[in-house]
Amino acid sequence: MEDIVCILNNISKTFGENVFACKNVNLKLNCGEVIGLVGENGAGKSTVVKCLYGLHSPSSGSIVIADKEVLFKSPKDSEQHGVFFIPQELDLFPELTIIENLFIGKKIPRNWIGNFDWKVLEKQADEIFNNLGVSFDFYMPLKLLSAANAKLVEIARALINEAKIIIMDEPTAALTQKEVKKIFEIINNLKKKKVSFIYISHRLDEIFEIADSITVLRDGELIISDHKNKFTKSKLVQYMVGRPLDQIFYRTKNKIGKKILEVKHLSYENNFKEVNLELKKGEIVGLAGLIGAGRSELAQTIFGLRKYSSGEIYINEKKININSVNDAIKFGIAYLPEERRSQGLILPFTIIWNMTLSSIKNFTSFGYINNHEEIKFVKKSSEKFTIKGAKISSPVSQLSGGNQQKVLVAKTIATKPKIIILDEPTRGVDVGAKAEIYKIIDDLANQGNAILLISSELNEVISMSDRIYVMHEGKIKGEFQKNEFNAEKIASVSAGII
Amino acid sequence: MKKKYNNLLIKFFSRPETPVLVFLFFLIFIISIFTSNFLTVANLKGILEQVVVISIIALAVNQVIYGAEIDISTGSLLAVCAFVYGLVAMETGGSWIALLASLLCGFIFGLFNGFLSTYGKVPSIIVTLGMLFILRGGLLLSNPGTVLNLIEPMRFFGMGNIFGLPVSIYCLIIVIIFYHFLSFNTLWGRNIIAIGGNPRAAVNIGLPINKVRMLSFVGSGTMCGFAAAVYLGQAGQIQATAATGFELKVIAAVVLGGTSIAGGRGSNFSPVVGALLVGVILNALTLNRIPPYYELFVLGLLILIAVSFDGFRRKLLEKDV
Amino acid sequence: MNNIIKKINFYNLNRTQVLGIIFIVQMIVQSIFIPYYFSIYGFFDASRAFVEIGIISLGMTLVIISGGIDLSVGALLALVSVSIGFSYDAGFPMWAAMLLGLLAGVLGGAFNGVVIAFFRVHPLVVTLGTFALFRGIAFAISKGGAVSKFPEWFGFLGQSYVWGYVPAQLFLFLILSIIFWIILSKTSLGRYIYAIGNNIKTTTFSGIAVGKVQIYIYTLTGFLVGVAGIIHTSRIFTARGNAGFELELACIAAVVLGGARITGGSGTMAGTILGVLILNYLKDGFLFYGLRSDWGLVIIGLFLIIGVFINEFFRKK
Repeated sequence: MEDIVCILNNISKTFGENVFACKNVNLKLNCGEVIGLVGENGAGKSTVVKCLYGLHSPSSGSIVIADKEVLFKSPKDSEQHGVFFIPQELDLFPELTIIENLFIGKKIPRNWIGNFDWKVLEKQADEIFNNLGVSFDFYMPLKLLSAANAKLVEIARALINEAKIIIMDEPTAALTQKEVKKIFEIINNLKKKKVSFIYISHRLDEIFEIADSITVLRDGELIISDHKNKFTKSKLVQYMVGRPLDQIFYRTKNKIGKKILEVKHLSYENNFKEVNLELKKGEIVGLAGLIGAGRSELAQTIFGLRKYSSGEIYINEKKININSVNDAIKFGIAYLPEERRSQGLILPFTIIWNMTLSSIKNFTSFGYINNHEEIKFVKKSSEKFTIKGAKISSPVSQLSGGNQQKVLVAKTIATKPKIIILDEPTRGVDVGAKAEIYKIIDDLANQGNAILLISSELNEVISMSDRIYVMHEGKIKGEFQKNEFNAEKIASVSAGII
Repeated sequence: MKKKYNNLLIKFFSRPETPVLVFLFFLIFIISIFTSNFLTVANLKGILEQVVVISIIALAVNQVIYGAEIDISTGSLLAVCAFVYGLVAMETGGSWIALLASLLCGFIFGLFNGFLSTYGKVPSIIVTLGMLFILRGGLLLSNPGTVLNLIEPMRFFGMGNIFGLPVSIYCLIIVIIFYHFLSFNTLWGRNIIAIGGNPRAAVNIGLPINKVRMLSFVGSGTMCGFAAAVYLGQAGQIQATAATGFELKVIAAVVLGGTSIAGGRGSNFSPVVGALLVGVILNALTLNRIPPYYELFVLGLLILIAVSFDGFRRKLLEKDV
Repeated sequence: MNNIIKKINFYNLNRTQVLGIIFIVQMIVQSIFIPYYFSIYGFFDASRAFVEIGIISLGMTLVIISGGIDLSVGALLALVSVSIGFSYDAGFPMWAAMLLGLLAGVLGGAFNGVVIAFFRVHPLVVTLGTFALFRGIAFAISKGGAVSKFPEWFGFLGQSYVWGYVPAQLFLFLILSIIFWIILSKTSLGRYIYAIGNNIKTTTFSGIAVGKVQIYIYTLTGFLVGVAGIIHTSRIFTARGNAGFELELACIAAVVLGGARITGGSGTMAGTILGVLILNYLKDGFLFYGLRSDWGLVIIGLFLIIGVFINEFFRKK
């Protein structure tokens, strides 16, 4: 089964200016093969895959399917060519029945009265589900199925539409051991039927079990692609992480003071449990881990966006209650959100309005805004952070990603916080701006602020932090002191290997 | 596993209209205790008459709401179509040709509403709010003092009887069957629920969003035309202020029946149950000598309760920040 | 003019200027077609009727910019009016009756705000329900009747003049317009309203209590309805339950014409005020010209749909 079913040639995707999400990625998928696609958060996996299933069009490069070059304008397009995407979370129609979901968008045959003849389709569906080794009552609404079974329905839908290539994004994220086994059984069966898979996962154990070959992406570029036997776990981690201890920034000497924030037994629903951590004044503490480890949820809980179900928070050794974002801000906590465009900034607003959104009260008396003071502040911040590219009275959407991020940083510290949580502060930012942001963070620490740095870029975390916590599946699985920093160890703990 | 779901009992309890149906029976029970002439044939017939007209339109608006849109112009459109029916009936003397005219009138305005709400990119609340007033204003302007009076034969759809049952009931049954067929046996029927429930996925899969939504408005408009024949038949006469505020009864029927105002969720029969609930409650008010202007108060309260319930349910299910 | 507003609502500032021009042209045209129209008296007298719409539109602007809508303002006006009339009729001193009316407005608005903020129901549906509820309560209190007996001085606000020929309520409208213009463009509340209308998530992440702001703006709108209700009752010197019919339509149409997107995030007070002027002088001109008042329904309905259509259809996404 060595026929090549799909080739990605030099796929690159840029989103304006210099920020490329992926660059010159090559991929060859053989018939009946499973490619394990691995890489850190932000390595470009989802971008590459989105180009393949039609959600993005590549900025350059080409896609060849079955010896024909294709250009997909939408997921519908790619589905017509046999490429199907199964997202991490169910994306069908819970209110419709299973069989309706299977055949959504397709013509349904009719019987002589004029009614839909589901019986005919039942046979088709039966066959597919038998191959998958499951059986359902077709006329049950999808919402009544478990997550695992719903996933099977999504796979079944792809098969009914004669899928040749199935892309799965973190398919086992919400599944039990037994259910994972089932999925693997199904994948192996389908391989024999000439279906090919691109399997994206952070669970390296699973990759080694299910994949035939492994492709590693890092920083948007292809690092290596080879048969799985050519890798060992630690070698794989090395490829994902890059040269160990790639120092990208040199911290200036800082004085670490007393404990300022402590969190004990903090839990929130299913996202994280029994988290204990502490921050000291003047310290930068890194929080490493993979997507879904619960880091953002933890940060948002400390910031008052979510209400913790159990645990305590202490500031300067005194227990406090955080019930709202306002509380958190009053206690001197600030949070720079992960998604700049949808959580951090309001794109149609000017730079001025964005920068002062959290702190507008500093410029008001009885609610009336003192525009002079506001503009003075914004001008000062812009200079301090060298924000360039547009006048401060222009919409922030006109700025480059790096400058937007700097506006966001300025906005975050405008509330004069003492504890600053940064969630992926350099994501989608060009190299030059990154360096500037590192300097800003360094300065903030030197001023005695405590910083919690959430980042998926290991080099960044290692270069910037004084101490590193590692989260995995909702728990803190490791704490590293500065002299213990080891990229592969940290990546392994993140991936749950150690 | 295959057989388990077919268990009728489970199916019955997981339908959205079940709690309302239960509540309805409970309510009827309570009312009949306190109100002497509630459970008489004459009274029940009266309730049914009102309920038929509300139901016919509510069944159609139900589909509009499935698609995550709304139509609040139905009262004015009902009146306009009723006038068309009346004028054509008086002119030609035939009730069937009048029905055709009324249907056509409803169809055209429904198409107009639908087109603006989808391809025209104007939110449906605005289109139908505007049309509510434009149609009413137009009606008042063209028929300022006119009272149309119909003679017996033309009132067929409201007063006629076939095999002992009122024609209006047959009309309702036809509409119920029609929408049942439409919903379960056309792609359109499945698609409107999909589009309202998960618009993003619907776009990705390539469902024809605008066309499907537009057709739901064509449905609500045409049903106004159909209901108008029954409405005028029952009332016998009509003036330009007829059916003012009627759209509220329709919306109340749909949301009380259990359809979610957010779209994508509901049942095809529940608007009838909702209409029954509205009819019963309003009737109870009348029988207990509560003045007619309390109607609005009650309708508003019912709508608020129903949607607050739905909102609360969604709030509990939503775990996101 | 506020530099910042100019940049954000670039589309709207052009819009406001355009509206200003349209208004002037409209006045000229109307005074040509209708003799004696464009006299000082005519011009000002016409304003008596639309001041109520104008005052409420100030609140409606805040609501629509925040991404919401309020369909219940007409019904609430009736409730306010009825509260004033029937409490006076029941023996309350006039000033207390007026206060009661104001309170009714505030409570009604607050009710809307609380249900929207707490139960997280879409403002459209909530205010559709209160549209019926408030009207119903108004009818219940008035039992279908009306009160037309008030102390003479009560007519001052609605019927008399200030400085010779400026109607008293117009003066009040002017003051409220300035206050609300300040609120929207110069206070933190105004900033928050724009923020919520543009991106609720970011606004929440920025530490702003979105629910609280929503309760404020619907309550403020309710207050304005209270004021408008007092003026209305004073003007027609009658309190009855069917007041304010089609009022919500006129307010929403004015706000939309003024440039606010129905989906929220943009809009200005100046635009709304011009929208009120243009729409209502047009309606008044038609009336003067001999057209029946029902034309008002049709015109405003048309302008509403056309206004939103122009805003939405030609916008590049």
